[in-house]
Amino acid sequence: MTAPTAGLGAWMLLALVLVGFGGFFFRAWQLYRLLLLGRNEDRTDKPARRLRDEIVIYLGQRKLIKRPYWIRGITHALIFWGFLVITYGSADLLLRGILGWQLPGTTSPAYMWILDIFAVAVLVSVAIAMYRRAFLRPPRMHIVREGYVILAMIAFLMLTLLVFESAAIAGVRDPGHIESAAQPPVASVLAYLIPTAAGPVIFAGTWWAHVLTILAFAVYLPRTKHLHIVTTLPNVFFRKQTPRGQLSLIEDIENKETFGAASIRDFSWKQLLDGYTCTECGRCSDNCPALATGKSLDPQKIVLDIRDQLLRDGPKLLADAKAETTPPAHYVESKPEELWACTTCAACVEACPVTIEHIDKIVDMRRHLTLMEGSAPPEAQRAMTNIERAGNPWGEARETRGDWAKDLGVPTFAEKQDAEYLYFVGCAASFDRRNQKVARSVVQVLRAAGVSFAILASEETCNGDPARRIGNEYLWQTQAQQNIETMRKYGVRKVIASCPHCFNTIANEYPQLGGNYEVVHALQLVDRLIVEGKLKVGRGMTEAVAYHDPCYLGRHNGVYDEPRAVLDAIPGVQRVEIEPHNRERGFCCGAGGGRMWMEEKVGQRVNHRRIEQLLAINSGATKVASGCPFCLIMLEEGVGAKGVQEQIKPVDVLELVAARLET
Amino acid sequence: MKILIPLKQVPDSTVRVKVAPDGTSIVTEGISWSISPYDEYAIEMALERKDADPTTVVAVVTVGAARSRDALRQALAMGCDEASLITADTAAPLAVARALAKVVDETKPDLVLCGKQASDDDQGFVGPALAELLGWAHVATITKVVPVEGGVELWREVEGGHEVWKAPLPALATVHKSEKEPRYPSLPGIMKAKKKEIPEKALSALGIDASGPTWTILSMEPPPVRGGGKILKDGDAKQIAEQLATALRDEAKVL
Repeated sequence: MTAPTAGLGAWMLLALVLVGFGGFFFRAWQLYRLLLLGRNEDRTDKPARRLRDEIVIYLGQRKLIKRPYWIRGITHALIFWGFLVITYGSADLLLRGILGWQLPGTTSPAYMWILDIFAVAVLVSVAIAMYRRAFLRPPRMHIVREGYVILAMIAFLMLTLLVFESAAIAGVRDPGHIESAAQPPVASVLAYLIPTAAGPVIFAGTWWAHVLTILAFAVYLPRTKHLHIVTTLPNVFFRKQTPRGQLSLIEDIENKETFGAASIRDFSWKQLLDGYTCTECGRCSDNCPALATGKSLDPQKIVLDIRDQLLRDGPKLLADAKAETTPPAHYVESKPEELWACTTCAACVEACPVTIEHIDKIVDMRRHLTLMEGSAPPEAQRAMTNIERAGNPWGEARETRGDWAKDLGVPTFAEKQDAEYLYFVGCAASFDRRNQKVARSVVQVLRAAGVSFAILASEETCNGDPARRIGNEYLWQTQAQQNIETMRKYGVRKVIASCPHCFNTIANEYPQLGGNYEVVHALQLVDRLIVEGKLKVGRGMTEAVAYHDPCYLGRHNGVYDEPRAVLDAIPGVQRVEIEPHNRERGFCCGAGGGRMWMEEKVGQRVNHRRIEQLLAINSGATKVASGCPFCLIMLEEGVGAKGVQEQIKPVDVLELVAARLET
Repeated sequence: MKILIPLKQVPDSTVRVKVAPDGTSIVTEGISWSISPYDEYAIEMALERKDADPTTVVAVVTVGAARSRDALRQALAMGCDEASLITADTAAPLAVARALAKVVDETKPDLVLCGKQASDDDQGFVGPALAELLGWAHVATITKVVPVEGGVELWREVEGGHEVWKAPLPALATVHKSEKEPRYPSLPGIMKAKKKEIPEKALSALGIDASGPTWTILSMEPPPVRGGGKILKDGDAKQIAEQLATALRDEAKVL
């Protein structure tokens, strides 16, 4: 049926469309101008991958449909896909109403069927979403009236669509004629309820109601969190394409005068866009180990604090570039203790359906606290001073760094310049007694497989990871440059790290300073050596071993499978998963982000919660294996505090391998 | 108020000290150096005054080798306003105090804060000697300084409480600890400190003889290596207790 806009109708519709879209674009323009207050940042590298992400994450809803959010993920996807299909129809509706033009395919039976089915699917999804909000009230989701208004509008759009489609069918019905199969199923059934004579009137009424709702939606949308329907498109496109574990580099640091973020102008435009895109769904908060254990940090609040300040202070700054913002963001909104509680575990980043980058904002604010104000927590300052003076956060004597290996006869690079691999031991395995055993296991395993390697001993210094994550970019750069210089001196090309923090920093961050190496985590290498038959692992005792995912191996670098493959390759070991907190939902041990060096006085200790999760699976596991020295320290402390050290023993996967080597 | 802090650069506490072949000194090649910890507390204490009253001027001075300049830069990075260096490769403690007395005469501080002792030789000599040379009031091992009408209150920690002394200015105190841990320098602070001029004078140019009454080190040796612990686990509680008592009496000789 043609649009009911004969005569003046078309002009009226045109006026309404101008008002509706005017309302939308006026607000969009305001928001765009506010975005320009942020500092510049180039996010146009790797365009092909950006397009791929757009298809997978935006169109494919990949980050929505995942555990444990199956139901809300699928209902959201249905509403979203419905929105896409119906928007095409809406565009056609408006064009036809004003100009009489028609978009291709809109009258085809296929499109009518899809439209019809999606209208019903969307209605069902809206009903589920409303029910969840009203009765299930998911914790940490911001349940506000806005959400209901939007859902109601969507439902009304679908109802009016179905009714005017049915009325159109009813209006031209030939009573003697059998309905054509080409007609959309739901509308053609509903059409029986509408008398043929009433068809045109009902059609016109619901058609106008539908169009008015679309236009109201356009005006309302950019003034609410539902703006994400629009902003997710650029937010996904401009997401970080560098490794997740790589923090931004402060270039030319010696000649800069201000560092980090203390006001909205210090964030990049993309970080501000993150704020527009947040849907307040609360998935980041849901997965945050700090929030879960009673800290004041809430990753969602960090994003919203920035957005709220932008919307509040931004217009003033646009009018007068020199205007003062209210005190820096972290004074009024994000407080230092929230920022210091972050372990940079990336559970929030992983959980976010719209690719918001929480860690970078937190570290930027930490950079301001540390570099500008010198106000990191005192214990963190002690760790940094130790790194500065002794090259390790423990403050152990630099020259004793290689002592653990003395009786093993491990060569240093100075002694064996033609070694294929550098084993970058790291501070923990060099100085912490428990982790020295892991380093010894690494040596045993590498020797058994005939790998040519050497260490740097006292020439190695801290990779800088804790300093960088505490916000001390300067200390990180000096440490990294020192290591890069040493590695250059010996022509190092391949690096093995048994610590995921060393691994992540050397692999993902040293390239920022010109240090490019082929870096493997020891477990990746061991997996390869087993597959290639170069390493034989024999049968030891039969035991169940739970695997704990280190954040900087798993979420930050996607190394989930190799450590598991190594465990599975050990005869007698039965691998156990710490469900549901495993793989990409692995729960932090509490040591990342420099937290290893800070006190944890508020709430429950993160590592104690981890031990509770481990005990809750009731798997009969007698060991919990990890691939990170800091996880090992935290797990050891945790089992001790919980009094279960006799039941379950924390180990490194490498120790299990070393204990069963076949010579 | 102007506060002067004489500081000393010492081997960093993370350095594993080795005795040099001559048997009377330590190996200083390739080790890292820092401000003696009690001097750092004195700096922090002075900077806390400066935080409370921005008109406070905090100056640091050291008598030492050319490398001591790094320690002065560290102090500037923490927030001190001025620094000066008196170079002397070796100087008797009394000569150091005499040189500092000249600096005090020249710069006229209201308050001199010294660390209670340097962490290398632990003599605790220079602070009191300087007060003596200047004829100033001296309070040792303070933990807090509070400006009051007509001088300063100097707090000392004593068993179960505090002693509060009042001294007219100028005065000298040696510092045991500051209220907060010594601050971590901000990066702009570090950069500014790098560019700051540090005037330098030779000890001899001040007309001071570097020798003087001092001690002579006869020999130096590392402490004996500590043996590992011993775990008693054979037998029941009673037997183990007996073994422990025997060990404490015969081996450790503490009973």
